Amino acid sequence: MSVLAVTRREWIGRRNVLLLSLGMGLLQFIGLHLNPDPAQAFDKTSFLAVATGTMYAWAVAALYGATMLSRDLEERRFGFLLNQPLHEAQIFLGKVLAGVGLAFLSGLLACLPPLLLSGFWRQLGMREVGSIMGVWLAGSLVLLLLFHALSIQVRSRSLWLALDLAAWALFFLGVRLLSLRLMAVDGFREMAHLWLGLLIAVSLGLAVAGYLQVSEGRADLQRGHRWVSLTMASTLVLVLLGGWAQVVWTLKHRPAAVQTQARTHGIR
Amino acid sequence: MTSTVAMNPVDCRQLGVRYGRMVALEEVTFTVAPGQVYALLGRNGSGKTSLVRCLLGHQKPCSGHIELFEQDVWASRRSLMHRVGVVSEEPDAPPTMTTRQVLQFCAGLYPSWDAVGVEARLHRFRVPQELPFGKLSRGQKAQVSLALALGPRPSLLVLDDPTLGLDAVARREVYDELLGELAERGTTVFITTHDLAGIEGLADRVGILHQGRLLVDASLEDLKARYRKISWAPAQALRLEDLAPYGPLGFRVGSLGGEAVLQGDPAPLLAARPEVQVQDLSLEELFVTLVGADTEVAS
Repeated sequence: MSVLAVTRREWIGRRNVLLLSLGMGLLQFIGLHLNPDPAQAFDKTSFLAVATGTMYAWAVAALYGATMLSRDLEERRFGFLLNQPLHEAQIFLGKVLAGVGLAFLSGLLACLPPLLLSGFWRQLGMREVGSIMGVWLAGSLVLLLLFHALSIQVRSRSLWLALDLAAWALFFLGVRLLSLRLMAVDGFREMAHLWLGLLIAVSLGLAVAGYLQVSEGRADLQRGHRWVSLTMASTLVLVLLGGWAQVVWTLKHRPAAVQTQARTHGIR
Repeated sequence: MTSTVAMNPVDCRQLGVRYGRMVALEEVTFTVAPGQVYALLGRNGSGKTSLVRCLLGHQKPCSGHIELFEQDVWASRRSLMHRVGVVSEEPDAPPTMTTRQVLQFCAGLYPSWDAVGVEARLHRFRVPQELPFGKLSRGQKAQVSLALALGPRPSLLVLDDPTLGLDAVARREVYDELLGELAERGTTVFITTHDLAGIEGLADRVGILHQGRLLVDASLEDLKARYRKISWAPAQALRLEDLAPYGPLGFRVGSLGGEAVLQGDPAPLLAARPEVQVQDLSLEELFVTLVGADTEVAS
């Protein structure tokens, strides 16, 4: 219940975002209603509405993540939550839940009116709708956690930012090199698996870093940044090592699969 | 045999806080006994805010530790907050929430929430509950913060400069509410303030923080007995050397005469110089004497 109390507090503070989303959706609806184009109404309208909703949901998640805690810390408002009998995990979870929910609902409100007009819901199955919502939720969560970590790193204005930059630079360089090795043997499928694995692992690292920022940093932005930096640097290095091991294993122990794929691509 | 000694609501030992090379607090040690009103005084930048942040478990000290009710506050912050009411220096409730929504939020977190008492307080303060917290006046925000802090019927009240920026009437209302709480429940109070005149009638014990060190930690009675102000007419020409045995502080001589603050009993001086006037020091005079001119004082 305490988690939901924190979530509700966040929603009350940011309810204008939902109104803005609804306004955006209604604008699209009015636009389509005034200029109907029966020839390509369903495909184009649906695609545009879903794309707009997705972008909007993710933008809200990123903005929320960037201000979720760092703004409270800068404005010295985080003490209000710390002065209540709330565990740090309840505070963090309540805020994350509020952000993901807000992003999801914002996206939905932004695209629902035009989708209703295009008859999207009647022509797509529950599976497709579920997939779109899953992508929205997962994308929102990852972006929220990422922007939360980045905002802490930037707003604390400490020298630990150098470690953050070095870790991220090393990570992207490493991913690029690993991807190139797989691309050299046309291992595109393996590369997609590698990227997905890296994304999931980095997201887990971001979640742990975000929690540690609250539990170990509390109202101390610099201390919170140290924990985020140490967690993220270790995560990125470990994930990269894991990715490297996977690529080595793929190239050494599964040559047939990769070579088959390479031949297939070669024939084409 | 069971112990009848009550646990101290606050026990701070050898507390140290640093920000890089800057020392904010150094070896600060004090305790607050049950039912006591402890006033922590200090100039801006003396380390009060760092101390309060450590006291509430918002910040981990670099050295030493603070216990509330014999529990480490950093490790047990959540459970301790059931027993602690807090008024922050800057009212920090969410600005977009109405007072009623803030009350509902807090009420759901405390099993011992005194809904009737909080309503009665807000009614006494004449605070509109449907306005967003951010749109309330400074005085109203402080009053809401105090009502929220008293809501869970706390055993310890931590007030971080609760009268900062308030007019005289609002200040009086805050102190009256505090006096009522003390008379009714005997709650322990830890307060930092710059309003020395306001706190003088309320505090049992005073700590003076200066440049990160606790310069004074004594009961108000002891302090007033320890330090006395003397004054003399121009014709009575007292020199600093005459006062040396009494550890003079803030020695000043002007065209209208002189004055000094003495440590210890000035009876021998008065016997030798009966024309010298002795006065009790107000808390403000004492504070200014002790920290106003970077005076070195043996605590």
